Amino acid sequence: MKDMLEALEAKRAQARFGGGQKRVEAQHAKGKLTARERIELLLDEGSFEEYDMFVEHRCADFGMADQKVPGDGVVTGWGTVNGRLVYVFSKDFTVFGGSLSMAHAEKIVKVQRMAARNGAPVIGLFDAGGARIQEGVDSLAGYADIFMENVLSSGVIPQISVIMGPCAGGDVYSPAMTDFIFMVKDTSYMFVTGPDVVKTVTNEVVTAEELGGARVHTQRSGVADGAFENDIEAIAEIRRLIDFLPLSNRERPPHRPVHDDPERVERSLDTLIPDNANKPYDMRELIEKVVDEGDFFEIGKDFGKNILVGFARLDGDPVGVVANQPMTLAGVLDIDASRKAARFVRFCDCFNIPIVTFVDVPGFMPGTKQEYGGLIRHGAKLLFAFAEATVPKVTVITRKAYGGAYDVMSSKHLRGDVTYAWPTAEIAVMGSKGAVEIIFRAEMGDPDKLAAREAEYKARFANPFVAASRGYIDDVIMPHNTRKRVIRALKTLKGKKLENPWKKHDNIPL
Amino acid sequence: MFDKILIANRGEIAVRIIRTCRRLGVKAAVVFSDADRDSLAVEMADEAVHIGPAPAAQSYLLADRIVDAVRATGAQAVHPGFGFLSEKAEFAQRLADEKIVFIGPNPHAIAAMGDKIESKKAAAAAGVTTVPGYLGEISGLAHAIEIAEGIGYPVMIKASAGGGGKGIRVAFTRTDVEEGFPAVQAEARGAFGDDRVFIEKFVESPRHIEIQVIGDRHGNIVHLGERECSIQRRNQKVIEEAPSPLLDARTRKAMGDQAVALARAVGYDSAGTVEFVVSGADKGFYFLEMNTRLQVEHPVTEMVTGLDLVELMLRVAAGEKLPFAQKDVKLDGWAIESRIYAEDPYRGFLPSIGRLRRCIPPSEGAAGIAVVRNDTGVREGDEISMFYDPMISKLITHAPTRLEAIDAQARALEAFHIEGIQDNVPFLAAVMDEPRFRSGELTTGYIKEVFPDGFRGSALEEATRDIFVSVAGFVHQLREDRARRVDGTLNDANRSARRTEWAVRIAGTDALTVHVEKDADGAGIVRSDGRRHRIDTQWRPGQPMVHAVVDGRPVSVRITQRPDGLDLRLRGTSARVWVMRPRTAEMLARLPEKQAADTSRLVISPMPGLVVSVEVQPGQEVKSGEPVMVVEAMKMRNIIRAERDGRIARVNVAAGASVAADEILIELA
Repeated sequence: MKDMLEALEAKRAQARFGGGQKRVEAQHAKGKLTARERIELLLDEGSFEEYDMFVEHRCADFGMADQKVPGDGVVTGWGTVNGRLVYVFSKDFTVFGGSLSMAHAEKIVKVQRMAARNGAPVIGLFDAGGARIQEGVDSLAGYADIFMENVLSSGVIPQISVIMGPCAGGDVYSPAMTDFIFMVKDTSYMFVTGPDVVKTVTNEVVTAEELGGARVHTQRSGVADGAFENDIEAIAEIRRLIDFLPLSNRERPPHRPVHDDPERVERSLDTLIPDNANKPYDMRELIEKVVDEGDFFEIGKDFGKNILVGFARLDGDPVGVVANQPMTLAGVLDIDASRKAARFVRFCDCFNIPIVTFVDVPGFMPGTKQEYGGLIRHGAKLLFAFAEATVPKVTVITRKAYGGAYDVMSSKHLRGDVTYAWPTAEIAVMGSKGAVEIIFRAEMGDPDKLAAREAEYKARFANPFVAASRGYIDDVIMPHNTRKRVIRALKTLKGKKLENPWKKHDNIPL
Repeated sequence: MFDKILIANRGEIAVRIIRTCRRLGVKAAVVFSDADRDSLAVEMADEAVHIGPAPAAQSYLLADRIVDAVRATGAQAVHPGFGFLSEKAEFAQRLADEKIVFIGPNPHAIAAMGDKIESKKAAAAAGVTTVPGYLGEISGLAHAIEIAEGIGYPVMIKASAGGGGKGIRVAFTRTDVEEGFPAVQAEARGAFGDDRVFIEKFVESPRHIEIQVIGDRHGNIVHLGERECSIQRRNQKVIEEAPSPLLDARTRKAMGDQAVALARAVGYDSAGTVEFVVSGADKGFYFLEMNTRLQVEHPVTEMVTGLDLVELMLRVAAGEKLPFAQKDVKLDGWAIESRIYAEDPYRGFLPSIGRLRRCIPPSEGAAGIAVVRNDTGVREGDEISMFYDPMISKLITHAPTRLEAIDAQARALEAFHIEGIQDNVPFLAAVMDEPRFRSGELTTGYIKEVFPDGFRGSALEEATRDIFVSVAGFVHQLREDRARRVDGTLNDANRSARRTEWAVRIAGTDALTVHVEKDADGAGIVRSDGRRHRIDTQWRPGQPMVHAVVDGRPVSVRITQRPDGLDLRLRGTSARVWVMRPRTAEMLARLPEKQAADTSRLVISPMPGLVVSVEVQPGQEVKSGEPVMVVEAMKMRNIIRAERDGRIARVNVAAGASVAADEILIELA
């Protein structure tokens, strides 16, 4: 018996050794932690239970029969984050470069299925060289199996991907189908085809960093939702994110005790809106002053900066925040902002996370670039997402809510549950100047007359009271009471029940 | 006494005057420009009158508007505060003509002291010691050199109509005069429309010490002791105190007597200040100028004399006699004032105006043996605007001795929390801790001499390090304990044993293992390195300041959570601190230190602003110092220049874009 126990320990030790000391050192020298080190940091201490430690590949071609490493390039299992269950897989670059074999894929699929069944998030840590080419089509089948589970789990459990090394070719599509992708600066990149292929096909000379580094995907493509300085910071922030999320769509988002008074009054919000309507202000200040402890986990902060999205808590309960950002492009809705926010709204709706929307939007972005790029379809995504969402929706209009963009931004008309406006709100078809130039086109030659008309229009429509008189606004509130009022509104919505008509699925304008 | 006065000023001083009016039962009306519509002064005043757009030249400087405001409010008198119209003799005369009382000296006294050359002549006539110099018209450069050499170098070349540090040069050699004289003339012409210049002896180890005087309309004049304002930056006062650590009773009396003699000679009948330059070497003092108004730094005099200068100004203006004589003036204890400015001490004190997102001053009133006073005109959420002086507050402490007042000032600065703009609090606090300042060896060159390379933050002393370790460890423990109280846990005690041992690493030092627990009173006990620290605090997550008692010492540590650690600041010392599991620290140690990105090929936005124009295109060659972009911030056009030669690889922003501070604007190949 004792021998057998010792044999097990020896086998485990061998598996934990991964690709060997040399490769581990090489990993560290690149500024990266190993697969197991990452899991250790991600999970509560001692909470990791590893599965399939002894799995080996079954490939006999190209001399692979002699090269077997237990675990086969991926570490899988479960553990806890602040006591809550999560499943995890972590690619081991030190073993076959983390490349994907059938056996490797099966390990991942196993935890994906467990997670979906048991209702807990899957966190994938990526650092791998792509398919195990020696395995040929089996490797492709393995990828597809993973993709399939990604799709079936989508909207059932949160799926989070962290790119912590190379991630190319087939490897990119699993993260692409998860809810959030985060990257590590300087050590990670992701692309469908690498610099060599790019050179061959298009003659373009580009480095891996320029093609798919963290900067590219957080600022330009929007593929990644955030980037961190190193593995340690990335993992610490993933833990922070997990704390905001329900484990599955069968749960409410997790309450956490809070030290912030739900009735806290913020006098300084009364001066947030500048006197000059064309002057920007930082919407982030409003968010940080309204939510618990100023704690706002922003998603996609470097992409589509004219809209802010992210998680926060109100009286201890997580909410998703969507807010136009006047600091960038006056907070206009363009393609990037619409896509970013629509995806976030749908995530919140999947996982029962109430949505709080702060509105200061001058409209949709004009121009050929936007129209040629399909603003109609992309803008429609956000409209669609807000409209179909059945979670509690509380909206606060701080300043401009013009035109179609007013409708889009979680308005009453899209089943917004409680809609508030600050006294500075202007809910109108467009700004006074533009409106007057259309209505009184005949008087265009007479600036004095036009100015008078503009003042008249402003007095009539540049306020929240016209909308309030129609019931489109439930109340006009003092800015300093925003936190209190939003929290109270959310409390009344705890029992909200609203269902969309039965359908196989909707057809959001993708 | 008046029933109602009008305050022809704004901000902190308007609020200060209103306070006294309230106490005296005098109604206070203020004027305001567009920029001050929602200001604290307007809120506090009994009445407020709009007088025009934000620029002072279109509002606060318009005598007509002030007179109209007086008529509209029915005020009997005008307090001009300082700056704006306070030292304009024509304004005082205008009010006199309109039968409105000016709460300040008579127009004749203002005129006599307003011109630097005329005031020196008057001073000399009154027997006041003046700096050797030439008071006549200087015909040209040759004449200037002759005068300079007659006095003996070093000499100071100054614009006659100057002030606020503009139009001043020091010449140590003939060449300096050759360069400086025309430059000062040009500056004087540009800034003041008056190119008269004078030359005088430059006093070495100079200290700025001034005598507060007050006179009534019955010929009584007394002085209220001195203030030392040697801590200056670009000739702007930063820290003031009363009394001066330099003066002895004899010198104080001599200076006071001269100040009173001068005031008497010009028929002075309000609060005023006679400024002297005093040699640190021999206590020789020389008259500089007389300010015919209330001074910014008047509170330190009030704290040591127990008088309210604004009240006295009101009383004498109303014709009352001074209620005391010279012999009744007693100086009690020591007072220190710091001027808290919206400026970035780490970037050469660049103005940093904008919205005060957070502004939590220390509590006023008694603090142990000391008293704290905070004179401010802004509240959280207000804008520090480009139109006026970017002062946030004047923080004053009073205590029995100088060191006690300094320590109280340091404590009060520590607790002052400002967010949204940069402020000079860390610098002021660093000065309070600096040995030379504490020893009282001041000169007007103090800042340049003690911080020759600018302010880089104070070094991390062991005592501060212990405080940082205690705060970081305890705060982390509270956060971790709270994080575990989230809903939906597996509830498996074994799987997530509570950790109380952490690795704390302060940037630039080795990680320490610390052990955190709580004692019976709920205070934290933080052990590390064989030492035990006790930290008692009510801090809760989300609060920006940890007010605590660490090992018996009350401290306020500013805490900012960053994704990759905590930023802590105590007084002038800042540090990035990481608290992690010991295993995490081990792993961190395995990773090579990331090379700081080479930013020399990047052109980075120094401040948030709006791109007005892009001067270059990708592919273009630029030389170091060549303008590449214009960024407008707070209506100031800032030319952004290439820091080295190179070819433009990429332009990341276009005209019209808003950029954040530190945003990469242009990349060079």
